[in-house]
Amino acid sequence: MSMKSTLETLESVNSKYGMFHAKTSDTDPGDAKFLFSAKDNLTSKDMETCAGSRILEGYFPAFDATAIARMREAGGKLIGKTNMDEFGFGTFSTNSGFEIPRNPYDLERACGGSSGGSACAAAVFEDHVSLGVSTGGSICCPASFCGVYGIAPTYGRVSRYGLIDYGNSLDKIGVLSTKAGDLRKYINVIAGRDERDPTSCVQPELRNEGRKMRSVAVPKEGVEGLSKDVEAAFNSALDELRRMGIDVEMVDMPSLKYAMPAYYVLATSEASTNLARYVGMRYGRQDGDYTQKFDEFFSGVRSRYFGDEAKRRILLGTFTRMAGYSDRYYSKAREIRQVVIQDYKGVLKDHDAVLAPTMPFTAPRFDDISKMSALDNYKADYLTVPANIAGTPHMSVPCGYGSDGMPIGMQFVADHWDEDVLFTMAEDWEKEFDMKKPEVGA
Amino acid sequence: MDRETVERVARTAHIKLTEDELERYSRDLSEILNYFELLDEAPGSEERGINPVEVADVLRDDEPSMEIDPDLLLRDMDTYERYVRGPRLS
Repeated sequence: MSMKSTLETLESVNSKYGMFHAKTSDTDPGDAKFLFSAKDNLTSKDMETCAGSRILEGYFPAFDATAIARMREAGGKLIGKTNMDEFGFGTFSTNSGFEIPRNPYDLERACGGSSGGSACAAAVFEDHVSLGVSTGGSICCPASFCGVYGIAPTYGRVSRYGLIDYGNSLDKIGVLSTKAGDLRKYINVIAGRDERDPTSCVQPELRNEGRKMRSVAVPKEGVEGLSKDVEAAFNSALDELRRMGIDVEMVDMPSLKYAMPAYYVLATSEASTNLARYVGMRYGRQDGDYTQKFDEFFSGVRSRYFGDEAKRRILLGTFTRMAGYSDRYYSKAREIRQVVIQDYKGVLKDHDAVLAPTMPFTAPRFDDISKMSALDNYKADYLTVPANIAGTPHMSVPCGYGSDGMPIGMQFVADHWDEDVLFTMAEDWEKEFDMKKPEVGA
Repeated sequence: MDRETVERVARTAHIKLTEDELERYSRDLSEILNYFELLDEAPGSEERGINPVEVADVLRDDEPSMEIDPDLLLRDMDTYERYVRGPRLS
């Protein structure tokens, strides 16, 4: 499909899948070299940016996020901003203040989250790359559910300038695509130092040496609690890796079971401070009642426009930072982050990557998601959060399909700054794996 | 988390809760915090870094600059004579 025909069918495709919050009305690609989309928590000069939240309705940023600016400089045309869980708060993209993206393999099922619209766009449009953002697994989870490749690079590899913060010590911008080669290609475009984000300024050079993966460690804690379909697909993938000459060894990583609660403490603590800026002034919704005092005014706007999960996480994060509780929760979570990092470093001395299924089940149906409790939702992230609190680069590749026909992914985690071995693994895997694309129609 | 604590936390966070919300969040947060008791048995560390990788300070020359046109920033803001409007303090 040409770029022109993609643009001409954008409206009708979006009405079927709901991947875009905002999209271009251009039907002519002009001199664009490629089309791309970006998660709606990355600021864009020409499109409304809401991060999935109604409190930001009407926000048209005055600047592009560095990642979007670099994609444009490389010849990319931004075609849409993708739907997501509000501020990234979710596993299924169902916590959106706007439209919920639908899975290209089954419209009754979720795309995963929180970069669900990005994974959907990557799966549906031919030759398309989408920028996603991961805080606790928000690139790999939807990549797994939508059957595409997705990578979250090392924390600090890509500038966060122009990213609407969820958790500053956790947020990472990455890439989703059906083509393995796009991971290397576009991470190279968006990576690099940017003085507007000091955390991007310590990075070593991004290597592109094609370093082969020789051995992977599979933690016992990463193969517990899997659905039968995921277990079967993962075991077949391990056989395929062995056939490719890669050593597979089972290991213990006892710290992984503490990563989920530690993640939710860190993420909500940071989110609750970041979201304090949304008070109905300067951007987004500005329709508060000026006859009220500031306390009432701020509370009124925030209560009206934040969604259910945003309120829950603000409450949780405010509580875990409060005097009398912060040592037990926030400080302990910071210590556990270091323990998890050391656990990864120890295993990665002898292996090129840690490997496990990306998600314990295939994309669930919307009616099943609505029956899940908040804690059930959080627990679903137990395989993706460890690499995210460690800031280590991680990548989901499609590795099979369930009896329901839904895609299954596996997640490789490499050492800090070692994206090269992940890129090469994806490129090698693509030659062996038979990807079944969804039937796409407008 | 009992209702009184949820109310106190919500006031601190500038969130007004309905009776239904108070009930629901009290139940949800209790369940979540019970699960978080797992943190008590987790091993500790001498290290407590804020970021997962080491981050250095980046300094630049102390030269005034204006990268974004202020008119562009004010374009969508509710303003009065180029001042951002806000609620009264007292």
